[in-house]
Amino acid sequence: MKKFGMTRRKFLAGAAVGSASLVASSYMSFDAWAATDTVAEDVKVTPTLCDACGNWCAINVYTKGGRIWKATGNPIAGLNKGKVCVKGHAMLHDVYNKDRIKTPLKRVGANRFEPITWEQAYREIGSKLKDIIARDGVQSVFLVQYPEGNEDLTNRFMNALGSNNVFSHASTCFLPRNIGWWLTTGAPKPEQDLENSRHVVFIGRNPAAGLQLRMLVDMAKAKDKGAKYVVVDPRFSEMAAIGHQWIQIKPGTDLALLLALANVMIKENIYQKDFIEKYSVGFDEWASKIDYYTPKWASEKTTIPEKVIVKLAHDMAEAAPSSIIHRGYHGAMGTQYKNSLQLVRAAGCINGLLGSYNQKGGMFNAPKVKLGKLAPEKYPGVPELDMPMSDGSGDPDKYPITPVGLGITQAIPELALAGKLKAGFVYHNNPLRTCPNPARMIEGYRKLDLLVSFDYVLSETASLAHYILPESYYLERDDVVHTNHCYTSKQVAIRQAVIKPLYDTKPMVQILTELAPHCGVGEYFGFTLEEYNRAALAPLNISLEKMKKEGVIDLGGEWKPGEPKFSTPSGKLEIASSILQDLNLPAVPVWEEPLVSPNSKDPYEFRLIHGKQAHLTHARSINQKYLKEITTLNDIARVWIHPERAKALGIKDGECMTISSSVGKGRARAKVTEGIHRDCVFLPSGYGVFAKNLEKAFGFGTSYNDFLPTYFDPVLGHVMANEIIVRVEKTQS
Amino acid sequence: MPESAWGWLIVVYLFLAGSGSGAFLAAVYCDLLAPDWSKSLARAGSLVSGPLVTIGTICLVLDLEAGLWEPWRQIYLAKNLSSMIAWGVIILSGFIPVALLYAAALNEITFVGKIARKYIRIIEYVGSALAVATATYTGVLIAVVNGVPFWNTPVMPVLFLASAISTGLAAAMIVAAIIDASTIKTLSNFALGHVIFLAIEALVLMLLVFMSLTRSTEAAISANMLISGVLSPYFWVLVVLLGILIPFILSIVEYYEYGEMPKSLVIGSDLLVLMGGMSLRALIIFSASPPQII
Amino acid sequence: MPRFGIAIDATKCIGCHSCRVACQNQNGLEFTETFNWIKDKERGKYPSYDKEYVPLQCNHCGNAPCERVCPTGATYTTPEGVVLVNKKTCVGCKYCMEACPYKMRIILHKAGIVVKCRLCIEMVREGGTPACVTTCPTQVRIFGDLDDPNSEISRFIAESGAEPLRKDLGTLPHIYYKRS
Ligand code: SF4
Ligand code: SF4
Ligand code: SF4
Repeated sequence: MKKFGMTRRKFLAGAAVGSASLVASSYMSFDAWAATDTVAEDVKVTPTLCDACGNWCAINVYTKGGRIWKATGNPIAGLNKGKVCVKGHAMLHDVYNKDRIKTPLKRVGANRFEPITWEQAYREIGSKLKDIIARDGVQSVFLVQYPEGNEDLTNRFMNALGSNNVFSHASTCFLPRNIGWWLTTGAPKPEQDLENSRHVVFIGRNPAAGLQLRMLVDMAKAKDKGAKYVVVDPRFSEMAAIGHQWIQIKPGTDLALLLALANVMIKENIYQKDFIEKYSVGFDEWASKIDYYTPKWASEKTTIPEKVIVKLAHDMAEAAPSSIIHRGYHGAMGTQYKNSLQLVRAAGCINGLLGSYNQKGGMFNAPKVKLGKLAPEKYPGVPELDMPMSDGSGDPDKYPITPVGLGITQAIPELALAGKLKAGFVYHNNPLRTCPNPARMIEGYRKLDLLVSFDYVLSETASLAHYILPESYYLERDDVVHTNHCYTSKQVAIRQAVIKPLYDTKPMVQILTELAPHCGVGEYFGFTLEEYNRAALAPLNISLEKMKKEGVIDLGGEWKPGEPKFSTPSGKLEIASSILQDLNLPAVPVWEEPLVSPNSKDPYEFRLIHGKQAHLTHARSINQKYLKEITTLNDIARVWIHPERAKALGIKDGECMTISSSVGKGRARAKVTEGIHRDCVFLPSGYGVFAKNLEKAFGFGTSYNDFLPTYFDPVLGHVMANEIIVRVEKTQS
Repeated sequence: MPESAWGWLIVVYLFLAGSGSGAFLAAVYCDLLAPDWSKSLARAGSLVSGPLVTIGTICLVLDLEAGLWEPWRQIYLAKNLSSMIAWGVIILSGFIPVALLYAAALNEITFVGKIARKYIRIIEYVGSALAVATATYTGVLIAVVNGVPFWNTPVMPVLFLASAISTGLAAAMIVAAIIDASTIKTLSNFALGHVIFLAIEALVLMLLVFMSLTRSTEAAISANMLISGVLSPYFWVLVVLLGILIPFILSIVEYYEYGEMPKSLVIGSDLLVLMGGMSLRALIIFSASPPQII
Repeated sequence: MPRFGIAIDATKCIGCHSCRVACQNQNGLEFTETFNWIKDKERGKYPSYDKEYVPLQCNHCGNAPCERVCPTGATYTTPEGVVLVNKKTCVGCKYCMEACPYKMRIILHKAGIVVKCRLCIEMVREGGTPACVTTCPTQVRIFGDLDDPNSEISRFIAESGAEPLRKDLGTLPHIYYKRS
């Protein structure tokens, strides 16, 4: 049994020998089940980064006989701690998906494309772009991307052109979350020490489906040590399945609950006074307003019994300072409600009442790695642009605190229709499917004179593009050095090709450096990816070779609990935000009604809420057969509805419902369950692909975006994705 | 979790193996007891028995996958004697040649038949033992399956044996009526066999269903599927009404009318028995419901 | 000789299906073929409503009905208590699929043979851990030697009172469950 004692870490260390070949002399005997296994096959292991979602987990990818086989997680990686999720395993297969784009394409008709050479594509794009810039100005050019990894280079390209119209998915995902934390603590994305937390409250956050692997690893460990998880959600989420308590809340009223929690803590004097006195500003102002928000008041708003609210406040306070409200993501604290920003602010302030900042089991800021830059003497830097974006982001008169570079992505079609945007680049994003009101999106994007996509499949957006310059699949390409794995310590990581590109596709960096000269900005792109990466690693004293051999390198600099620090204007936790005050907005968190509410008297009216499933990412994963099979096998694309509401409408489990809103209509089968609040129906996201070329996904299910009108939150401009009233009826056949 | 692995081929196999061995028993019975002028039932039974079992066995083999297109794998089929399939292979490889030999002997086909004729009694005794074994085994095959609580009862082999005899008798009678019109009177005597075995079948079936309702949750699910659930129309109409009740009544009439019943009704009643036997097996296989494990 | 088994803490399962696809990749299975399933079970009404995810795979029964009914002897138990199917002698009669009370076997129509969880036997004999165990983000599964009272799995079973599913069926599973 000695052999069995060999640790996994050692095994992986031995296995992760970069791309160096490793012939598996796997144990084979007559009882081995596959006859082919008896032939020792050529197994290679390459450390790289996953791209099945935005986390970019560090994985070791195995090939067998040159074909992608499987992946394991890199145990030291801060983001995934040795794990690989379901998408990470499944998306490996899609390098062989026949839907992939195999060469550069030019659109020659509605959904008709013809292959062209890279040279021709660059030339035509360059000359059209120059014409548009000459005619309409450079601010008519935009880029919409998933801002990660290569963003430094895509931004460089846009800024070199002279445009700062760089959009992301932020306004459809996390914008209020980031701004709320930034206003309150100075950091847009504070981390939480879940491994040591004793009590965690999740406000509409479901890390068990909107997966972040390290959170789950930490929480599983903490749960074994006795940590308690309370899940506040209108529906029984996957997180609730491993939580200790599910508090069912009326959607859109989480802010009321949080204000009442603060009320109890302040009234009963069970908050961390030392912390508040030393490290916060605005407590007294908040305390004077908090009287109003009694548990009784909140109980009426939220439908949560008063005593449940009081008990929750007590439990939270008792576990302080290793007690937190989770920082949230796309859920209630993301872009879902009009009051989301206030909600995040309230959560930040309550974590202050709990004194959890920079404490063991509390909130902290992950240590950062500073990467090197290309030497400016050799490679001229791009000019700095200091102006608001065309959508009003960064404009003191419109969306002053919405950051330039994130932007308001659902504004693009509006701006195109108004003639303000003429040419666009879409990178690693599919706005037509991930933004509200697809009909309007299509109308707007159609209006563009030039649309260039870098997609690897003909997604909804790519199908409208004039040109497609296909990026290589993530298993076929090298990317820039990456620092996302910094969590409790400093780490750098890199993506590298596991196999050679199967088709005539290229890594993004190469496409940009080749395209730039045709667009008149070649001088800023006179480098190779290798030079770029070497410059990035130079200050860390790490060679590119070592980086590629190890995939992830830990640089130490571990986070330790201690004195809390805030990089807000006051240097303290801003319960009263000076920035909001200056903008004439409520300085301390106060109640704000959601934008819309279903009429409780009308049996047909519901709020439509949505959420992720662990096996799907946004709009593309349902085209992956292993993932789609999970949906169909378990019949989990159904829309959840409360049994009493369903009964009143004559809808039985599994029956088809017709759902309609002011902008859209669709059908879905019902999942009648006690696990949802009676005021809403829940639509799992990731379905409703309407790109005809995605064969597996096309026409399967429906998306919440089909029902969501184009909204702009008055402060930040986000989509307010759960502010949808729908009418639900039994489908008449 | 695959719900059911076996389909129509196995149903047909269970049915044909059962009725084939039943036909053999009917033939032997007739050969031993009926007067000389009335042996066409024995001849008919002996003629159908071997082919029916053979076709059934072919169905079983067709249901194999790797064992079908790599037939040499079939040499392993009798390796594990704790498997009922292994025993089935042994029993069938004994019974099929004996049944074919019996057909040859009784009908004096070829010189083999003529030689075998001399040992007809031995063939009948050995063959009968093997026929009972075959019919019973088709029931035991599924009765030992813990994966399906509804099947997992000693009543199952009894039911299969009773059904095998009535379907075998029916098969033999149909063929007899076809090859020899004058035999209707003999058949009327044998209608008593139908009365007896259909009655036994009905009783055992009742026992199975009622016991299942209380035996375990899963057995009850299966039983309910049959008596009130999705399969109930088939069960009540095909098995109970057409497969048992009507032939039962017709057989009583036939027995008392002694040779006066129209040939078409005789054949029709026997066809119903066959159809009922086949439906019974199909419904038992398709009502399988595995243990609830979570 | 160790006796391998897995303890499953279903109270930590989030139903993410990572184990399913990790296993499919490890074993080269097509997307419709799988060795594990996640079934959910709802109970009660709010506020005592609860939903539980239960990962299922072959139980490597110590008294395996599938092995007993396999005519060819293709299904057999290794000295470590792992129930395997010999790919070379399985004829695809599917008797074992009917016999398995847990319905944990599938037929690969292309190869014509019946397969199921293999406890990643080659990997664990080399000292590794099964693919479904390593990948699980909430560490639902614990793999190890059931006969060693000091192994993590044995201690977990002792402390949590984990039990096989449907112990009453008497197949002596090597997979233990902690349920909510
Ligand atoms: S679970 Fe089923 S397949 Fe696995 S050993 Fe037990 S009976 Fe056999
Ligand atoms: S032990 Fe191996 S073969 Fe069995 S379910 Fe887990 S990964 Fe699959
Ligand atoms: S990987 Fe773990 S949490 Fe996910 S479904 Fe499997 S057992 Fe459950």
